[in-house]
Amino acid sequence: MPLSKELYRALEDIVGTDNLSDDPAVLDSYRYSLAHTAIHLGPYFDTFTPRGAAVLLPGSTEEVQAIVKLCNQHKIKFKASSTFWSAQGYPSTENTLQLDMRRMDRILEIDEKNMYAVIEPGVIGATLQAEAMKVGLNTHLPGSGCSCSILAGATSYFGSGPSNLYGGWHYDNLLAMEWVMPTGDLFRTGSLGSNCGWFCGEGPGPSMKGIARGFLGAKGAMGVFTKCAIKLFAWPGPEILPVEGTVPAYGVSLPELFRAYTLAFPSWKAWADAAYTIWDAGIGYLAHRQFNMFGRDLKHAMVKILTDPTKTLGDLEQLLQDPEVQRVTEESTRDFQIVLAGMTPRDIQWQDSVLDEILARTGGWKVEAMNSPEINPWMLLYLIRLGHKNLNLVFGGSYDGCFGMLGAADFGAANAEEAGLFKKKWEKHGAIVAAGGDCMMGPIGGQGGGGTCLWENFTCFDPYDRFSTEGTLEFFNTCTEFGLEKGWGVGMEKWNDQARGPDGRTPPKEVRDKIHRSHPQPSAFRYQHRIRETFNPNDLGDAYYETLEE
Amino acid sequence: MALEDFAPEMDRCSSCSYCKWIPFDQVKSWRFAKNCPSIAYHNFNSYSARGRYTVARSLLRGQSDCSETVKKIVFTCLTCGSCDVSCKICRYNLEPLEMVRELKFSLVEQGHELEALREVRESYAAGKNTQGKSAGSRGDWASDLDVPRIDEQPMPVLFHAGCRLSYDKELQESARTAVQILQGAGVEIGIRGDQELCCGGRLYSMGYRQEFESSAEANLAAWAEAGVKTIVTSCADGYHAFKRLYPRLGSQVEVLHTVELIDRLIQEGKIKFRSQVPLTVTYHDPCHLGRQGEPYVPWDGVEKKIMEQIVVYEPRRPRYNGAWGIYDPPRRILESIPGLRLVEMERNREYSWCCGAGGGVREAYPEYSQWTASERIAEAKASGAEALASACPWCERNFKDAVQAQNGGMKIFDIVELVQMAM
Amino acid sequence: MNGHRERLMDIVGKAGITEEPTLGESYSLDRDLIPALDSRFRVRPKDVDEVEKIVLWANETSAPLVPVSSGEPHLRGAAAPSALASILVDLSGMKRIRKIDRRNRLALIEPGVTFGELQPELAEAGLRMITPLLPKLRKSVIASLLEREPIMSPRFQWNLLEPLRSLEIVWGNGEKFWSGSGFFHLDNEDSWKQGLVPLNGPGPGQLDFYKMVSAAEGSMGIVTMASVKCEVLPEFRKTFLIPATQLDELIDPMYRLLRFRFGDELFIVNRTCLAHMLTREVHHMQSLKETLPAWMMIAGITGGHILAHERVQAREDDMRSIIEQAGLRMLTDVPGCDSSELQDIILKPCEEPYWKLRYKGGSQEIFFLTPLERTPAFISEMDRLANKFRYPVSDLGIYIQPQHQGVNCHCEFMLPFDRQNQEERSQTEALFREASLKLFRQGAYFSRPYGIWADMVYNGDTRTTIVTQKVKQIFDPNNVMNPGKLCF
Repeated sequence: MPLSKELYRALEDIVGTDNLSDDPAVLDSYRYSLAHTAIHLGPYFDTFTPRGAAVLLPGSTEEVQAIVKLCNQHKIKFKASSTFWSAQGYPSTENTLQLDMRRMDRILEIDEKNMYAVIEPGVIGATLQAEAMKVGLNTHLPGSGCSCSILAGATSYFGSGPSNLYGGWHYDNLLAMEWVMPTGDLFRTGSLGSNCGWFCGEGPGPSMKGIARGFLGAKGAMGVFTKCAIKLFAWPGPEILPVEGTVPAYGVSLPELFRAYTLAFPSWKAWADAAYTIWDAGIGYLAHRQFNMFGRDLKHAMVKILTDPTKTLGDLEQLLQDPEVQRVTEESTRDFQIVLAGMTPRDIQWQDSVLDEILARTGGWKVEAMNSPEINPWMLLYLIRLGHKNLNLVFGGSYDGCFGMLGAADFGAANAEEAGLFKKKWEKHGAIVAAGGDCMMGPIGGQGGGGTCLWENFTCFDPYDRFSTEGTLEFFNTCTEFGLEKGWGVGMEKWNDQARGPDGRTPPKEVRDKIHRSHPQPSAFRYQHRIRETFNPNDLGDAYYETLEE
Repeated sequence: MALEDFAPEMDRCSSCSYCKWIPFDQVKSWRFAKNCPSIAYHNFNSYSARGRYTVARSLLRGQSDCSETVKKIVFTCLTCGSCDVSCKICRYNLEPLEMVRELKFSLVEQGHELEALREVRESYAAGKNTQGKSAGSRGDWASDLDVPRIDEQPMPVLFHAGCRLSYDKELQESARTAVQILQGAGVEIGIRGDQELCCGGRLYSMGYRQEFESSAEANLAAWAEAGVKTIVTSCADGYHAFKRLYPRLGSQVEVLHTVELIDRLIQEGKIKFRSQVPLTVTYHDPCHLGRQGEPYVPWDGVEKKIMEQIVVYEPRRPRYNGAWGIYDPPRRILESIPGLRLVEMERNREYSWCCGAGGGVREAYPEYSQWTASERIAEAKASGAEALASACPWCERNFKDAVQAQNGGMKIFDIVELVQMAM
Repeated sequence: MNGHRERLMDIVGKAGITEEPTLGESYSLDRDLIPALDSRFRVRPKDVDEVEKIVLWANETSAPLVPVSSGEPHLRGAAAPSALASILVDLSGMKRIRKIDRRNRLALIEPGVTFGELQPELAEAGLRMITPLLPKLRKSVIASLLEREPIMSPRFQWNLLEPLRSLEIVWGNGEKFWSGSGFFHLDNEDSWKQGLVPLNGPGPGQLDFYKMVSAAEGSMGIVTMASVKCEVLPEFRKTFLIPATQLDELIDPMYRLLRFRFGDELFIVNRTCLAHMLTREVHHMQSLKETLPAWMMIAGITGGHILAHERVQAREDDMRSIIEQAGLRMLTDVPGCDSSELQDIILKPCEEPYWKLRYKGGSQEIFFLTPLERTPAFISEMDRLANKFRYPVSDLGIYIQPQHQGVNCHCEFMLPFDRQNQEERSQTEALFREASLKLFRQGAYFSRPYGIWADMVYNGDTRTTIVTQKVKQIFDPNNVMNPGKLCF
């Protein structure tokens, strides 16, 4: 249903003619295919999120407030997104106004001494990191990569990534913020509300930042975040990365204070032992089981392709026949990547020695093939900048993750092999990429200092292919059954299941309620309902903010 | 090809927005991180490669019509190819540049051409050039040059001036200079003068497939008759047309840009520098010489799947991702000029920012075109350069216009001008 | 009232209830500058079920509840009742250390567990907790963490609630709840064996439940169990003293240490504060104040688990380099203070009498958060105000504790005063009030708004006030939990 002329004009008055569109083709460019990487639901073939009522490009907090107030007046739902990747940032019902936060893309301040930056929603990880590096600082990047909005990850989603270990995940790093609440009221949290600056996200008293996000954020369903301060951390490297190489095989060498290794272990227990010991020892700048996302059987061949500008995916089969590739693939079965960064030469030397000691104690080793001059600089740059996360989709255009096994390292390590074998059997059905079953990727350390791991089992499929897409859905359904049977809980494949159904829209209340009631503590969703009732009285968000009304 | 052939890609596009940024590994600052002028200027997602994939899908499915907005979305694409480079950092089975070209063709073929571009098309029909000038005056730039006309005297090496250099009075000096430098270095070179025809490249990027093909066929025929084995041009647009588009129509002529030849001649000692050129210069990689200047590899194949669902091609499909464009020869030339200090802009080589002239944008959207050029001038200033050199008259014209609008602040050169200053 | 007593006895048993009309004596320190009302009963529940019943009863009867876990002295007013006939819910008897998991570095404790009780148990398992500076002997670990008391080692503090993780909470509405990953029911053995351990603080879901009870002065609910993250027990450690004449000299080197996360315990004290830490004897304090350097940075270095000595040596060399570049010295002793003696002191809870009270028997604290570089300005202001109120500047204890890995710091002024001396009490109160307001207006962030700070802070931040009040309505709709605190 098109917007009324009156409303269109009112919105035009707020953002200007050039920053508003209800052209059908434009609106369709703001729809997301659920055959795609919907993230934690579906996939659903040939299904799209609903067409928005209009798209707006606000340029300031005041404009956002005015839009939201107008939405309250007219009872129109709205949803903001910064980079529009995954279905989470898209409307779930018809006639939703879409806010594209791209124009609000300033880095307002980098406080070098106190190590934080103040940013708008359109600031992506790559640009913040580049600016921070100029003053010897770095930002944590979420696992989805440096193309994503830092503010969005911190306020509204998850914000976990390879540098959780040292940099803290974005839950930890979110300081004060400016929040246009669902009613249009402006809430400046923490020290900002007391006019003291951006440096503290907590308080005064009980921290009301806690209603903006918990373990997860509200995923765009509770107002719009327009600014935030994000904690940074030390970058002991050069102000500008000295990137070399031929596209796409860029790499960087920082031999003085950095080391990048792929470590492998003889058993999952040894793998977990190493993770725990790394955390105990306090070494590591970032640590992630990253390249296994290509699949246990394919990862080294893929690394060979990605580091050779003359190669393409078409070389994969041939590479898989190479005995050396086979040997390294076998060697890397139970692996993860780690980057050490020393603040000083003594520091890096100590960390390197500690890592050697950990390997000796656990029977682990450094995968030498990943230390080659062609690969190591690529690996280091990849992990620092995290600018290749589109590789999640390299095979055919879609992926989503199953299982997850979020928790202590022992938990995932005890079950990893079984989870991998389960998927490996399913790969024979033909709907998903046959990658060796274990395609599990995740951080070594889900939070600052370590402690937890996440095992997202990448499932790659072709969104253009009905068989592939529907087969993936079937696979995910069986994953959920298997995971519940095993006591692992509902896996990542369904973490957003309550948000959208097979028609791409909010599922009926009974469906959502059933999901929430089956949670170990449904009360959490009842409280979230009360929060929504209180702060979003006109209910202008969608079911990505999970509630149970009873 | 047809737009429908890109339907699989429309679904397989990652929606990652990498097409809106230079390769992330190369980001050095917030200011100069963007790569796509059209979304940088217009901001709506539709104006990016990923957006155009969805617009194309919407049109194909009949979910929207070709409104004025849609035309703007499509025709503001400069076809600079930077989205293509960035996409292909990670993707091996998407061709966003080819898709958007096909989208333009599709709109034109359905009768949705832009008014401003229609004028260009008609001018081409009338005078076989894109400048709205008479065919007869095309050769005036060389009227006092002592160089054979190949239509009268067959020569193996042809210098193709191109429409911009032929008719732009300010820029055409660099065409003369190029010919003189090459002749001075012993290259036996000819021109077509007033018989020269538009390469068709600009028409191609505007969406005029038929006009391009007819231009190409006419050129190929003329060259064959004149025994041309090698084409040399100072125009990146022409370079790209001859090197990458003409072979699809059977061309086997060797294609060189002037800078490739001059670079070779310097290495061979046939061009020597005797004067200092005390300038701090930055080099702008023209899109069609740099990332789109890669060698052509013929391919005719089909999609297939391996490992159940990995999309590849049979036979192995060549990959155009900017890796093998012409980046080093112009830099070697500049670095060999005595006294000249070469500095790099943040966005260079395969991830260079476009000058804003291509794809019909200069003709149809002058304000946006100039904004794009002025962004590049700002970047040149930020590099510490006092002069910006390039190897394409379209880039140079757009930059000169932008500098003039700003009342100066940056000298604009073609590389051959600096070479001549040093000789 | 008799009805109340009987109902409470039903819940906690006869031994679990104390009825004293003037129960407030032990809160007299709170009362000095914070008006308080006498409570009527103290109940001592033994477990979460009893707590749940108490809270449900309070909702039925509208009886105000004031939860308290720590013993005396009480200094900040959180446990001083602000409503008539409050019931003190004394959790100090819930003293079980339910679990210590070396591998996951997690301890599961009840609210009555003190630092003094926990640390030895952790040490046996090869672990330790990072503590605040000299917590009182009877300080509850959970209470300290809930209060967001600053811990001595900023490098381990990934967020301001660390190392607090999952909680078992009885909300003000009487509902039992588990925050973080506590819904595995915290000490459920089966879950633990599977590797499902309560490592997470935030959530579950999209609401950050444990933030609702953080610095809430017991006004949202009662925490009956918590998982806390521990660090490895160092095999080897050293403590260094970096003296300075002016605070400014220490700021830049401190920033460098924080940037690199060098140093374990890392904080700055002035000579007065240090004197009070070092000795119980008043006369000795006075002589120390004349001997000690005006300012001192305390930097601990630890090595544990792997290549401990190498780590300590490497750190020491690097830190010395930073300190010396700033024109300062990294020492093991200075006149009046030996680093190993100080190390012994700060690694344990404070022996009685509580160090802040040693000098004059009473002490008023002013503390807030601020970026480190602003602390000199606040100190100058405080000196000026002390002079205005004729409060001896040399009596001011100052403690600066970087937090959150250096993003901000806890800046604290200790104002000792003689509680028996009416004039001194009035003078200190007047200074306290004016200084609080002035510093707040100059940008001091009172993130833990005790007593008079509550009005000051909440009146200055209307939106936070409205939001907080609305959230209170959700978790404690009948306002039974410590009414009158914060903005309630």
